[in-house]
Amino acid sequence: MGLIEEISEFLQKGRSKKIKELVQKALDENMDPKVILNEGLLSGMMIVGAKFKNNEVFVPEVLVAARAMNAGLALLEPKLAEVGNEPVGRAVIGTVQGDLHDIGKNLVGMMFKGAGFEVCDMGVDVGADAFIDRAEELGADVIGMSALLSTTMPQMQECIQRLEERGLREKYIVMIGGAPVTEDFAKEIGADYYTPDAASAAETARNAVMERKSA
Amino acid sequence: MKKITEFQIRISPDSVCSMLNADRSLLADEMREELEEMLSEAYERLEPAAYLGFGDTEGFLYGEDQLPGQEALYVICTVGERLSSWSSELFRQGDCVRAMLADAAADNCLFQLDGQLREQISALCREHGRGIRRRLEAPQDAPMRIQKKALDVTGAAQYGIGITEGFMYRPVKSVCQVYLLSENPEENNSEHDCSRCPNTSCRMRRSPGDVTEPSVTVITGEGQRTLPFVRGKIILEILRENGIYIAALCSGRGTCGKCRIRVTEGTLPVAAEDRLFFEEAELEAGFRLACTAFPEGACTVLIPDLAEEKEFYVPDIGGKETAADWPDRTQEGKGSEEAALKRDGRAAACEAAPGRGGGVNAGEYGIAVDIGTTTVAMQLIDLRSGKIMKAHTALNIQRMYGADVIGRIEAAVKGSAGELKECIRQVLQSGVDSLTEGGHVPVSRMVIGANTAMVHLLMGYPCESLGIFPFRTYNIQRIETAWDSLSGQKGLSFPVRICPGVSAYIGGDITSGLYALGFHERERVSVLIDLGTNGEMAVGNRERILAASAAAGPAFEGGNLACGTGSIPGAVCHAAWKDGTLCVETIGGEEPTGICGTGILEIIACLLEAELMDETGRLEEPYASEGFPVDEQGRIRVFQKDIREIQLAKAAVRAGLETLLDEYGTAIDEVDEIFLAGGFGYELDIGRAEAVGLLPAGCAGRVRAAGNTCLKGAAAGLLDGESGKTLDYIAGLVREIPLSGNPKFSELYMEYMCFGEEE
Repeated sequence: MGLIEEISEFLQKGRSKKIKELVQKALDENMDPKVILNEGLLSGMMIVGAKFKNNEVFVPEVLVAARAMNAGLALLEPKLAEVGNEPVGRAVIGTVQGDLHDIGKNLVGMMFKGAGFEVCDMGVDVGADAFIDRAEELGADVIGMSALLSTTMPQMQECIQRLEERGLREKYIVMIGGAPVTEDFAKEIGADYYTPDAASAAETARNAVMERKSA
Repeated sequence: MKKITEFQIRISPDSVCSMLNADRSLLADEMREELEEMLSEAYERLEPAAYLGFGDTEGFLYGEDQLPGQEALYVICTVGERLSSWSSELFRQGDCVRAMLADAAADNCLFQLDGQLREQISALCREHGRGIRRRLEAPQDAPMRIQKKALDVTGAAQYGIGITEGFMYRPVKSVCQVYLLSENPEENNSEHDCSRCPNTSCRMRRSPGDVTEPSVTVITGEGQRTLPFVRGKIILEILRENGIYIAALCSGRGTCGKCRIRVTEGTLPVAAEDRLFFEEAELEAGFRLACTAFPEGACTVLIPDLAEEKEFYVPDIGGKETAADWPDRTQEGKGSEEAALKRDGRAAACEAAPGRGGGVNAGEYGIAVDIGTTTVAMQLIDLRSGKIMKAHTALNIQRMYGADVIGRIEAAVKGSAGELKECIRQVLQSGVDSLTEGGHVPVSRMVIGANTAMVHLLMGYPCESLGIFPFRTYNIQRIETAWDSLSGQKGLSFPVRICPGVSAYIGGDITSGLYALGFHERERVSVLIDLGTNGEMAVGNRERILAASAAAGPAFEGGNLACGTGSIPGAVCHAAWKDGTLCVETIGGEEPTGICGTGILEIIACLLEAELMDETGRLEEPYASEGFPVDEQGRIRVFQKDIREIQLAKAAVRAGLETLLDEYGTAIDEVDEIFLAGGFGYELDIGRAEAVGLLPAGCAGRVRAAGNTCLKGAAAGLLDGESGKTLDYIAGLVREIPLSGNPKFSELYMEYMCFGEEE
């Protein structure tokens, strides 16, 4: 088995230590960090994501794989910056104003990274304009918002309205999620996508960004 | 206004892991290990507090809740900022695994806070001269802004509880409940009223008690019954309430896939859980899980036969003669069953002096009973000769409330105590009927050995404190009662003795086993290991005995294994390599139908030997993904998950044993005899048990297969007029060493998780 395949295999098994070792080894052998990322880490993560979708593995498997990926990324990121790697896309995510629940949003961030995104996590209680300002600053492709309760869901609409007022609506893919959020609500407020879970959020975002970039 | 900070919180690894669906995952044990490593920090971060205050409900209630002058008790509880924010911190560090565990652990604490407050809340209301009419939670039952009202009323803001413009509390792991008060101080509806909650897909939903029209027709092997049900009730609940047995080993959480039913008329919506266990064609054919099936209208369902339940474990306890063979009461007992009884010194001693102290008349019979969590075993004993005349085994149908003790305790606490009691009475009644030929054989007494939870359920004792730390029992003394009061049937009656226990986890079954083996008379230290659904162990002699209970799970009985089965004909029980192929033997030499506890251990030893599995229990590919084929056709396989099950079980047993030996101040080499009780012990190859690390090296030659020691103790107790006192004496001799939270045990548990002897 080649080193890259090995990285993908061990990532799927969630072996952080092994991943660190192998990524370091690959770097020492002067392998292209982009190849290590795309064909090693990200390909492994995609397989785990697909298995999760098919009920072949469960939440814990995804979590350990993502943790192993983070361990590998920590070593890889400086090198990726050196060679000027372009991520799949850039996403600004956060929990909306008035809302403090971040577990769902954190999972989305984790899965976005696993899909090759550069993620800016703005945390909780994030105002509509704060999302937009940061997205502008980073040249983001996606704005992802999370809300746990119906009392804070209107904040999502607020952000979309502000995007329109500022003439920026078409620039961003707006995605929303959270326990009370539904497909209908997304349509009602004019969001681009709603997904019921973190894994499908990452997949949807990746496809949407790639579609836009190829258009 | 009142502030409460005294709570006894024990984070439950089971609950935390099941919140993450870890019980379905191959990584279940790894998750648990990670969580265990986190616990000390979790407790250090935990700062539980509850703030309570009385107030009005102006502007919040509608409809029937809106009574004039309505009063309410507002409660805010929190686990504190440091535990609340732990998950986010861990996420920022990139450790999403621990982050999710931290989040679930905080939720688990929050649930416990809520549970422990319940009593104090009721008391506070009574002091106030009020009862509780209803419990409200935002946003289901009241608007979110009621959380602001609660903050004002309880004064929690001055203790650092903040609120956002969306009316959420800071720390985020804080919740609010509003109890609507009633003029009647006796009223106590402090549980959330699920029937009025719009969240119908909630896994914790409890159904209401009122009855409406629709009915479900249930067809079992015994016939057909039409049962009315309440909307929102699941099929499993409807079956339980009507005493129709179906296995629900996971207590109805949708994770074991055992409660298969088939809808033949009408419809049952397909639940997400159904998709995990059934193929599309099966779903179309109407297969569903009873525990996730919500009938929306009238329907007909088929319940599979009891006999089809594969892991039904029937230990051989002798007494195979038919009634026609045995009324030879003059013959001195020389049968093989009697010899089996005799093997264990205790019973032999009793038999040597028939009727010792008990005034037994010729022709009298006694019934020995072992109420196990999985099976109930009963024997009719001739009190004069000590001979086993007849035996009866049956499934403990309480299994429809869960495979393990914890599941049953939870069910009892949630209001099914009466049904659980009825289940076991039914099983005992049919056993007595069968053994006595419908009451024709004169029975003069009965002795029952059972674990503490089984005794509590049989006697209808409250189980609340049994399932939660510090695991207080209601009564573990010896019980002397009578059959008519136990069975609730007039007519046939005789005295019944229930063996005394030691603690919530060391029950009368162990006392009875120690009695059977004569531990209280032994000079040299011996060991008893009872591998049932719980792994109990005892070390000691006539001076003192230490005992412990380790959560081994049912894997040694073939439970929880993909192709597991009990020790029945066709069960794979031995395995060895022959010219590079795995050759297996089955019980009775029949076509393999499944793998029993000994079989899986031997297969694992073989896999280890051939390096197809490493010492951490990881199978090589392709076996890790496809399972390792055991029979020629590859129908019976050992999967990675099965190995994990055994790994956890054997680590628990071995670590428990070593902890006990250490506490006792002795070593395994010093031990005289090692008794292995449970059906598992009979076929076990000791060398193999040592190879996988279940037993320490060097045990061979001292290990004795002891069979069902609890039943043997009960039988011996029938014959010994002094058995009551002796059993009390033994119960007093035993001291329990708690294993959960025992640092020595935790360390050893990790150590013995790997296969093979000490690396």
